[in-house]
Amino acid sequence: MTVIYQIITACVIVLVGWNLFREKKLTGQLAAALVLIPLLLRVLMIK
Amino acid sequence: MTEAKRTFGRWWTAGILLAAIAGILAVVSHDFLSMHVDLPIYPGDGVTEIRRLSDYFDGIAGSAADTDVYILEGSEPGGTALVLGGTHPNEPAASVTAIVLVENAHVEKGRLIVIPHANHSAFTCTEPQEGYPQTYTIETPTGPREFRYGSRGTNPIDQWPDPVIYINAAGQALAGAEVRNLNRSYPGSATGNLTEQLAYAIVELIQQEDVDISVDLHEASPEYPVINAIVAHEDALGIAAEAALFLEFEGVQIGVERSPENLRGLSHREWGDATDTLALLAESPNAAQGRLRGRTDEALIVEGIDPYYVRAAERGLVYVPFSEEGHPLSERVGRHLQTVSMLLQVYNDYTDAAIVVHDVPTLATLLQDGLGTYLAPPEDEAS
Repeated sequence: MTVIYQIITACVIVLVGWNLFREKKLTGQLAAALVLIPLLLRVLMIK
Repeated sequence: MTEAKRTFGRWWTAGILLAAIAGILAVVSHDFLSMHVDLPIYPGDGVTEIRRLSDYFDGIAGSAADTDVYILEGSEPGGTALVLGGTHPNEPAASVTAIVLVENAHVEKGRLIVIPHANHSAFTCTEPQEGYPQTYTIETPTGPREFRYGSRGTNPIDQWPDPVIYINAAGQALAGAEVRNLNRSYPGSATGNLTEQLAYAIVELIQQEDVDISVDLHEASPEYPVINAIVAHEDALGIAAEAALFLEFEGVQIGVERSPENLRGLSHREWGDATDTLALLAESPNAAQGRLRGRTDEALIVEGIDPYYVRAAERGLVYVPFSEEGHPLSERVGRHLQTVSMLLQVYNDYTDAAIVVHDVPTLATLLQDGLGTYLAPPEDEAS
Protein backbone atom coordinates (compact mmCIF):
# COMPACT_ATOMS: atom_id res chain seq x y z
CA MET A 1 0.00 0.00 0.00
CA THR A 2 2.79 2.42 0.91
CA VAL A 3 4.56 1.73 -2.38
CA ILE A 4 1.38 2.54 -4.34
CA TYR A 5 1.06 5.76 -2.34
CA GLN A 6 4.67 6.67 -3.12
CA ILE A 7 4.14 5.98 -6.84
CA ILE A 8 1.04 8.22 -6.87
CA THR A 9 2.93 10.94 -5.00
CA ALA A 10 5.88 10.66 -7.38
CA CYS A 11 3.52 11.05 -10.35
CA VAL A 12 2.01 14.18 -8.79
CA ILE A 13 5.53 15.53 -8.18
CA VAL A 14 6.41 15.05 -11.84
CA LEU A 15 3.24 16.83 -12.96
CA VAL A 16 3.64 19.72 -10.50
CA GLY A 17 7.34 19.98 -11.41
CA TRP A 18 6.39 20.07 -15.09
CA ASN A 19 3.91 22.83 -14.27
CA LEU A 20 6.63 24.72 -12.39
CA PHE A 21 8.62 25.01 -15.62
CA ARG A 22 5.63 25.62 -17.96
CA GLU A 23 3.94 28.25 -15.78
CA LYS A 24 4.54 31.76 -17.08
CA LYS A 25 3.42 33.70 -14.02
CA LEU A 26 5.84 33.92 -11.12
CA THR A 27 2.96 33.55 -8.64
CA GLY A 28 1.95 30.31 -10.35
CA GLN A 29 5.52 29.06 -10.16
CA LEU A 30 5.64 29.96 -6.46
CA ALA A 31 2.44 28.03 -5.85
CA ALA A 32 3.87 24.97 -7.60
CA ALA A 33 7.08 25.25 -5.58
CA LEU A 34 5.14 25.40 -2.31
CA VAL A 35 3.10 22.34 -3.28
CA LEU A 36 6.27 20.41 -4.09
CA ILE A 37 7.75 20.75 -0.58
CA PRO A 38 5.30 18.51 1.35
CA LEU A 39 5.06 16.13 -1.60
CA LEU A 40 8.82 15.64 -1.64
CA LEU A 41 8.92 15.18 2.16
CA ARG A 42 6.22 12.53 1.80
CA VAL A 43 7.69 10.61 -1.12
CA LEU A 44 11.05 10.50 0.65
CA MET A 45 9.23 9.20 3.79
CA ILE A 46 10.73 11.97 5.90
CA LYS A 47 7.45 13.40 7.20
CA MET B 1 7.38 35.25 -29.13
CA THR B 2 9.33 32.12 -29.96
CA GLU B 3 7.91 28.57 -29.79
CA ALA B 4 10.16 27.77 -26.83
CA LYS B 5 8.88 30.76 -24.85
CA ARG B 6 5.28 29.75 -25.50
CA THR B 7 5.93 26.19 -24.31
CA PHE B 8 7.99 26.96 -21.21
CA GLY B 9 7.63 29.71 -18.62
CA ARG B 10 10.56 31.42 -17.07
CA TRP B 11 12.85 28.44 -16.69
CA TRP B 12 15.42 30.41 -14.75
CA THR B 13 12.89 31.45 -12.06
CA ALA B 14 11.80 27.80 -11.89
CA GLY B 15 15.44 26.87 -11.36
CA ILE B 16 15.81 29.39 -8.55
CA LEU B 17 12.65 28.06 -6.92
CA LEU B 18 13.92 24.48 -7.21
CA ALA B 19 17.13 25.53 -5.48
CA ALA B 20 15.06 27.20 -2.75
CA ILE B 21 13.01 24.00 -2.35
CA ALA B 22 16.22 22.00 -1.99
CA GLY B 23 17.42 24.38 0.71
CA ILE B 24 14.13 24.22 2.62
CA LEU B 25 14.06 20.43 2.33
CA ALA B 26 17.60 20.19 3.69
CA VAL B 27 16.71 22.27 6.77
CA VAL B 28 13.36 20.68 7.61
CA SER B 29 14.54 17.15 6.80
CA HIS B 30 17.36 17.53 9.31
CA ASP B 31 14.80 18.70 11.86
CA PHE B 32 12.35 15.86 11.24
CA LEU B 33 15.01 13.16 10.93
CA SER B 34 16.63 14.28 14.20
CA MET B 35 13.57 12.87 15.98
CA HIS B 36 14.65 9.40 14.90
CA VAL B 37 17.81 9.71 16.98
CA ASP B 38 17.18 8.29 20.45
CA LEU B 39 18.10 10.57 23.33
CA PRO B 40 20.25 8.69 25.82
CA ILE B 41 19.10 6.88 28.93
CA TYR B 42 21.83 6.24 31.50
CA PRO B 43 21.15 2.93 33.27
CA GLY B 44 22.00 2.99 36.96
CA ASP B 45 23.99 0.26 38.67
CA GLY B 46 20.71 -1.41 39.63
CA VAL B 47 20.21 -2.47 36.01
CA THR B 48 21.46 -6.01 35.57
CA GLU B 49 20.56 -6.61 31.94
CA ILE B 50 19.35 -4.67 28.91
CA ARG B 51 17.38 -6.62 26.37
CA ARG B 52 15.36 -5.71 23.29
CA LEU B 53 11.64 -6.20 23.04
CA SER B 54 12.24 -8.20 19.87
CA ASP B 55 13.91 -10.82 22.07
CA TYR B 56 10.34 -11.78 23.02
CA PHE B 57 8.85 -11.56 19.51
CA ASP B 58 11.27 -11.35 16.62
CA GLY B 59 8.57 -10.04 14.27
CA ILE B 60 9.45 -6.48 15.36
CA ALA B 61 13.23 -6.94 15.10
CA GLY B 62 14.77 -4.18 13.02
CA SER B 63 11.54 -2.17 12.97
CA ALA B 64 10.81 1.22 14.52
CA ALA B 65 8.73 -0.56 17.16
CA ASP B 66 11.66 -2.38 18.75
CA THR B 67 12.78 -0.84 22.03
CA ASP B 68 15.05 -1.36 25.02
CA VAL B 69 13.90 -3.45 27.98
CA TYR B 70 15.75 -2.78 31.24
CA ILE B 71 15.89 -5.57 33.80
CA LEU B 72 16.75 -4.89 37.44
CA GLU B 73 17.21 -8.19 39.25
CA GLY B 74 17.73 -8.56 42.96
CA SER B 75 20.12 -10.93 44.69
CA GLU B 76 17.21 -12.84 46.24
CA PRO B 77 14.55 -14.64 44.19
CA GLY B 78 11.06 -13.18 44.19
CA GLY B 79 8.30 -12.02 41.92
CA THR B 80 8.50 -9.97 38.73
CA ALA B 81 7.03 -6.53 38.11
CA LEU B 82 6.74 -4.68 34.80
CA VAL B 83 6.57 -0.89 34.50
CA LEU B 84 5.71 0.53 31.11
CA GLY B 85 6.33 4.16 30.18
CA GLY B 86 5.99 5.80 26.80
CA THR B 87 2.90 4.00 25.58
CA HIS B 88 1.80 7.50 24.58
CA PRO B 89 4.90 9.71 24.14
CA ASN B 90 2.77 12.87 24.48
CA GLU B 91 2.35 11.87 28.15
CA PRO B 92 5.85 12.66 29.39
CA ALA B 93 5.47 11.81 33.09
CA ALA B 94 5.09 8.15 32.11
CA SER B 95 8.38 7.79 30.24
CA VAL B 96 10.29 10.05 32.67
CA THR B 97 9.04 7.94 35.59
CA ALA B 98 10.36 4.83 33.84
CA ILE B 99 13.68 6.58 33.18
CA VAL B 100 13.98 7.61 36.86
CA LEU B 101 13.46 3.95 37.81
CA VAL B 102 16.11 2.77 35.33
CA GLU B 103 18.61 5.36 36.55
CA ASN B 104 17.98 5.12 40.32
CA ALA B 105 16.22 1.97 41.50
CA HIS B 106 17.88 -1.03 43.12
CA VAL B 107 16.11 -4.33 43.53
CA GLU B 108 16.79 -6.42 46.61
CA LYS B 109 14.35 -9.23 45.91
CA GLY B 110 12.67 -10.31 42.69
CA ARG B 111 12.86 -8.48 39.39
CA LEU B 112 11.73 -5.15 38.02
CA ILE B 113 11.39 -4.88 34.23
CA VAL B 114 11.12 -1.35 32.83
CA ILE B 115 10.33 -0.20 29.29
CA PRO B 116 10.66 3.62 29.10
CA HIS B 117 9.79 3.97 25.39
CA ALA B 118 7.03 1.40 24.89
CA ASN B 119 5.93 2.84 21.55
CA HIS B 120 9.34 3.78 20.20
CA SER B 121 7.98 4.76 16.79
CA ALA B 122 5.62 7.32 18.37
CA PHE B 123 8.64 9.14 19.82
CA THR B 124 9.79 9.98 16.27
CA CYS B 125 6.95 12.40 15.43
CA THR B 126 4.53 14.81 17.05
CA GLU B 127 0.79 15.24 16.54
CA PRO B 128 -0.07 17.33 13.45
CA GLN B 129 -1.58 20.77 14.08
CA GLU B 130 -0.96 20.66 17.84
CA GLY B 131 2.13 22.88 17.94
CA TYR B 132 4.06 20.56 20.27
CA PRO B 133 7.80 21.01 20.70
CA GLN B 134 9.92 18.06 19.62
CA THR B 135 11.79 18.03 22.91
CA TYR B 136 11.51 19.39 26.44
CA THR B 137 14.29 20.13 28.88
CA ILE B 138 14.68 19.18 32.51
CA GLU B 139 17.30 20.98 34.56
CA THR B 140 19.69 18.65 36.37
CA PRO B 141 22.25 19.86 38.93
CA THR B 142 24.95 19.87 36.24
CA GLY B 143 22.97 21.18 33.29
CA PRO B 144 19.92 20.81 31.11
CA ARG B 145 18.91 17.39 29.79
CA GLU B 146 16.63 16.95 26.78
CA PHE B 147 13.80 14.47 26.45
CA ARG B 148 11.71 13.65 23.41
CA TYR B 149 8.06 14.68 23.25
CA GLY B 150 6.22 12.46 20.82
CA SER B 151 2.87 11.48 19.46
CA ARG B 152 -0.02 9.46 20.88
CA GLY B 153 0.21 7.02 18.00
CA THR B 154 2.77 5.17 15.93
CA ASN B 155 4.49 7.37 13.33
CA PRO B 156 2.45 7.19 10.08
CA ILE B 157 5.77 6.80 8.26
CA ASP B 158 6.01 3.40 9.97
CA GLN B 159 2.36 2.37 9.70
CA TRP B 160 0.01 3.62 7.02
CA PRO B 161 -2.82 4.03 6.06
CA ASP B 162 -5.36 4.38 8.87
CA PRO B 163 -8.67 2.63 8.19
CA VAL B 164 -12.01 4.43 8.56
CA ILE B 165 -12.94 2.08 11.40
CA TYR B 166 -10.37 0.05 13.29
CA ILE B 167 -11.41 -3.30 14.71
CA ASN B 168 -8.67 -4.47 17.05
CA ALA B 169 -7.53 -7.99 17.82
CA ALA B 170 -9.98 -8.15 20.73
CA GLY B 171 -12.88 -7.34 18.38
CA GLN B 172 -13.46 -3.77 19.57
CA ALA B 173 -14.54 -1.28 16.88
CA LEU B 174 -12.75 2.06 17.24
CA ALA B 175 -12.10 5.26 15.29
CA GLY B 176 -9.63 4.72 12.47
CA ALA B 177 -6.77 6.72 13.99
CA GLU B 178 -6.74 4.36 16.99
CA VAL B 179 -5.11 1.76 14.72
CA ARG B 180 -1.79 3.40 15.68
CA ASN B 181 -2.61 3.60 19.40
CA LEU B 182 -0.70 0.95 21.36
CA ASN B 183 -3.18 1.12 24.21
CA ARG B 184 -6.04 0.14 21.93
CA SER B 185 -4.17 -2.68 20.22
CA TYR B 186 -3.81 -5.30 22.95
CA PRO B 187 -3.54 -8.27 23.06
CA GLY B 188 -1.98 -7.61 19.69
CA SER B 189 -1.36 -9.93 16.81
CA ALA B 190 1.79 -11.59 15.47
CA THR B 191 0.53 -11.05 11.93
CA GLY B 192 -1.16 -7.68 12.40
CA ASN B 193 0.02 -4.15 11.71
CA LEU B 194 3.15 -2.76 13.40
CA THR B 195 1.30 -1.47 16.49
CA GLU B 196 -0.50 -4.79 16.92
CA GLN B 197 2.82 -6.63 16.61
CA LEU B 198 4.26 -4.29 19.25
CA ALA B 199 1.32 -5.03 21.56
CA TYR B 200 1.80 -8.74 20.90
CA ALA B 201 5.51 -8.45 21.81
CA ILE B 202 4.66 -6.80 25.15
CA VAL B 203 2.11 -9.52 25.96
CA GLU B 204 4.74 -12.12 25.01
CA LEU B 205 7.19 -10.45 27.41
CA ILE B 206 4.62 -10.64 30.22
CA GLN B 207 4.06 -14.33 29.52
CA GLN B 208 7.67 -15.35 28.91
CA GLU B 209 8.98 -13.47 31.96
CA ASP B 210 6.04 -14.67 34.07
CA VAL B 211 5.32 -11.12 35.19
CA ASP B 212 3.24 -11.03 38.38
CA ILE B 213 2.21 -7.38 38.42
CA SER B 214 2.25 -4.85 35.56
CA VAL B 215 1.75 -1.10 35.63
CA ASP B 216 1.15 0.90 32.44
CA LEU B 217 1.90 4.59 33.11
CA HIS B 218 -0.11 7.33 31.43
CA GLU B 219 -1.23 10.93 31.66
CA ALA B 220 -4.58 12.50 30.88
CA SER B 221 -5.94 15.95 30.17
CA PRO B 222 -7.54 17.70 33.18
CA GLU B 223 -11.00 17.55 31.58
CA TYR B 224 -10.78 13.74 31.23
CA PRO B 225 -12.73 11.94 33.99
CA VAL B 226 -10.17 9.19 34.58
CA ILE B 227 -7.33 11.23 36.08
CA ASN B 228 -5.20 11.01 39.24
CA ALA B 229 -6.37 7.43 39.23
CA ILE B 230 -5.39 3.79 39.12
CA VAL B 231 -7.33 1.70 36.61
CA ALA B 232 -7.32 -1.95 37.58
CA HIS B 233 -8.33 -5.24 36.04
CA GLU B 234 -10.76 -6.98 38.38
CA ASP B 235 -8.01 -9.40 39.46
CA ALA B 236 -5.94 -6.42 40.66
CA LEU B 237 -8.79 -4.33 42.04
CA GLY B 238 -8.11 -5.23 45.67
CA ILE B 239 -4.44 -4.28 45.43
CA ALA B 240 -5.34 -1.03 43.67
CA ALA B 241 -7.93 -0.09 46.29
CA GLU B 242 -5.59 -0.81 49.20
CA ALA B 243 -2.73 1.06 47.51
CA ALA B 244 -5.00 4.06 46.89
CA LEU B 245 -6.03 4.06 50.54
CA PHE B 246 -2.41 4.09 51.75
CA LEU B 247 -1.51 6.74 49.13
CA GLU B 248 -4.30 8.92 50.53
CA PHE B 249 -2.83 8.45 54.02
CA GLU B 250 0.47 9.72 52.59
CA GLY B 251 -1.22 12.77 51.10
CA VAL B 252 -1.44 11.55 47.49
CA GLN B 253 -5.03 11.96 46.32
CA ILE B 254 -5.83 9.16 43.91
CA GLY B 255 -8.93 7.30 42.78
CA VAL B 256 -9.54 3.75 41.63
CA GLU B 257 -11.41 2.76 38.48
CA ARG B 258 -12.40 -0.74 37.48
CA SER B 259 -11.28 -1.73 33.99
CA PRO B 260 -14.42 -1.84 31.84
CA GLU B 261 -15.17 -5.28 30.44
CA ASN B 262 -16.80 -3.89 27.30
CA LEU B 263 -13.94 -1.64 26.19
CA ARG B 264 -11.42 -3.97 24.68
CA GLY B 265 -7.85 -3.46 23.59
CA LEU B 266 -6.51 -1.55 26.60
CA SER B 267 -3.59 -2.76 28.69
CA HIS B 268 -5.50 -3.02 31.99
CA ARG B 269 -8.13 -5.21 30.30
CA GLU B 270 -6.17 -7.39 27.87
CA TRP B 271 -3.04 -7.98 29.95
CA GLY B 272 -5.28 -9.25 32.73
CA ASP B 273 -7.40 -11.40 30.42
CA ALA B 274 -4.60 -12.79 28.24
CA THR B 275 -2.00 -13.43 30.96
CA ASP B 276 -1.74 -14.19 34.68
CA THR B 277 -0.37 -10.74 35.52
CA LEU B 278 -2.16 -8.27 37.78
CA ALA B 279 -2.86 -5.51 35.26
CA LEU B 280 -2.93 -1.87 36.36
CA LEU B 281 -2.73 1.55 34.75
CA ALA B 282 -1.97 4.90 36.41
CA GLU B 283 -2.95 8.39 35.23
CA SER B 284 -1.59 11.81 36.16
CA PRO B 285 -2.76 15.26 34.96
CA ASN B 286 -1.05 16.78 31.92
CA ALA B 287 -2.38 20.14 30.75
CA ALA B 288 -0.32 19.93 27.55
CA GLN B 289 -2.66 17.21 26.29
CA GLY B 290 -5.85 19.10 26.99
CA ARG B 291 -8.16 20.84 24.53
CA LEU B 292 -8.52 23.89 26.77
CA ARG B 293 -4.80 24.66 26.96
CA GLY B 294 -3.29 27.94 25.89
CA ARG B 295 0.27 28.43 24.71
CA THR B 296 1.82 25.04 23.97
CA ASP B 297 5.52 24.99 24.68
CA GLU B 298 8.19 23.29 26.77
CA ALA B 299 7.19 25.32 29.83
CA LEU B 300 3.65 23.94 29.71
CA ILE B 301 5.00 20.39 29.52
CA VAL B 302 7.52 20.80 32.35
CA GLU B 303 5.87 23.37 34.63
CA GLY B 304 2.26 22.36 33.90
CA ILE B 305 0.97 25.89 34.41
CA ASP B 306 -1.92 27.07 32.25
CA PRO B 307 -4.19 30.07 33.03
CA TYR B 308 -7.04 28.67 30.94
CA TYR B 309 -7.18 25.52 33.04
CA VAL B 310 -7.23 27.67 36.17
CA ARG B 311 -10.34 29.40 34.78
CA ALA B 312 -11.85 26.07 33.74
CA ALA B 313 -11.27 24.69 37.25
CA GLU B 314 -12.96 27.75 38.78
CA ARG B 315 -16.01 26.88 36.66
CA GLY B 316 -15.93 23.21 37.66
CA LEU B 317 -15.10 21.99 34.17
CA VAL B 318 -12.14 19.76 35.04
CA TYR B 319 -11.73 16.59 37.08
CA VAL B 320 -8.61 17.57 38.98
CA PRO B 321 -7.83 20.60 41.14
CA PHE B 322 -5.98 23.13 38.98
CA SER B 323 -4.48 26.18 40.65
CA GLU B 324 -2.00 28.79 39.43
CA GLU B 325 0.79 26.46 40.57
CA GLY B 326 -0.37 23.96 37.92
CA HIS B 327 0.82 20.38 37.89
CA PRO B 328 4.57 20.34 37.21
CA LEU B 329 6.29 17.31 35.74
CA SER B 330 8.09 16.75 39.06
CA GLU B 331 4.72 16.33 40.80
CA ARG B 332 3.34 14.06 38.08
CA VAL B 333 6.45 11.85 38.05
CA GLY B 334 6.44 11.79 41.86
CA ARG B 335 2.82 10.60 41.89
CA HIS B 336 3.65 7.80 39.46
CA LEU B 337 6.76 6.73 41.37
CA GLN B 338 4.92 6.66 44.69
CA THR B 339 1.99 4.81 43.10
CA VAL B 340 4.30 2.13 41.66
CA SER B 341 6.10 1.76 45.01
CA MET B 342 2.83 1.50 46.91
CA LEU B 343 1.36 -1.05 44.51
CA LEU B 344 4.46 -3.23 44.97
CA GLN B 345 4.33 -2.83 48.77
CA VAL B 346 0.69 -3.90 48.87
CA TYR B 347 1.37 -6.76 46.43
CA ASN B 348 4.18 -7.97 48.69
CA ASP B 349 1.73 -8.29 51.60
CA TYR B 350 -0.15 -10.99 49.70
CA THR B 351 2.63 -13.09 48.23
CA ASP B 352 5.67 -15.14 49.14
CA ALA B 353 7.36 -14.01 45.92
CA ALA B 354 7.88 -10.41 46.92
CA ILE B 355 9.43 -7.68 44.78
CA VAL B 356 11.49 -5.37 46.99
CA VAL B 357 12.72 -2.21 45.27
CA HIS B 358 14.81 0.52 46.92
CA ASP B 359 15.92 4.03 46.02
CA VAL B 360 12.68 5.06 44.34
CA PRO B 361 12.01 8.74 45.13
CA THR B 362 8.64 9.68 46.58
CA LEU B 363 6.42 12.60 45.58
CA ALA B 364 7.64 14.59 48.59
CA THR B 365 11.33 14.06 47.82
CA LEU B 366 10.83 14.96 44.16
CA LEU B 367 9.04 18.17 45.08
CA GLN B 368 11.72 18.99 47.63
CA ASP B 369 14.83 18.05 45.64
CA GLY B 370 13.58 18.64 42.10
CA LEU B 371 13.11 16.09 39.34
CA GLY B 372 16.54 16.79 37.84
CA THR B 373 18.24 15.54 41.00
CA TYR B 374 17.08 12.03 40.11
CA LEU B 375 18.12 12.14 36.46
CA ALA B 376 21.64 11.34 35.33
CA PRO B 377 23.56 14.46 34.31
CA PRO B 378 23.78 14.94 30.54
CA GLU B 379 27.57 15.17 30.75
CA ASP B 380 27.60 11.38 31.10
CA GLU B 381 26.92 11.24 27.36
CA ALA B 382 30.49 12.22 26.64
CA SER B 383 32.04 9.75 29.06
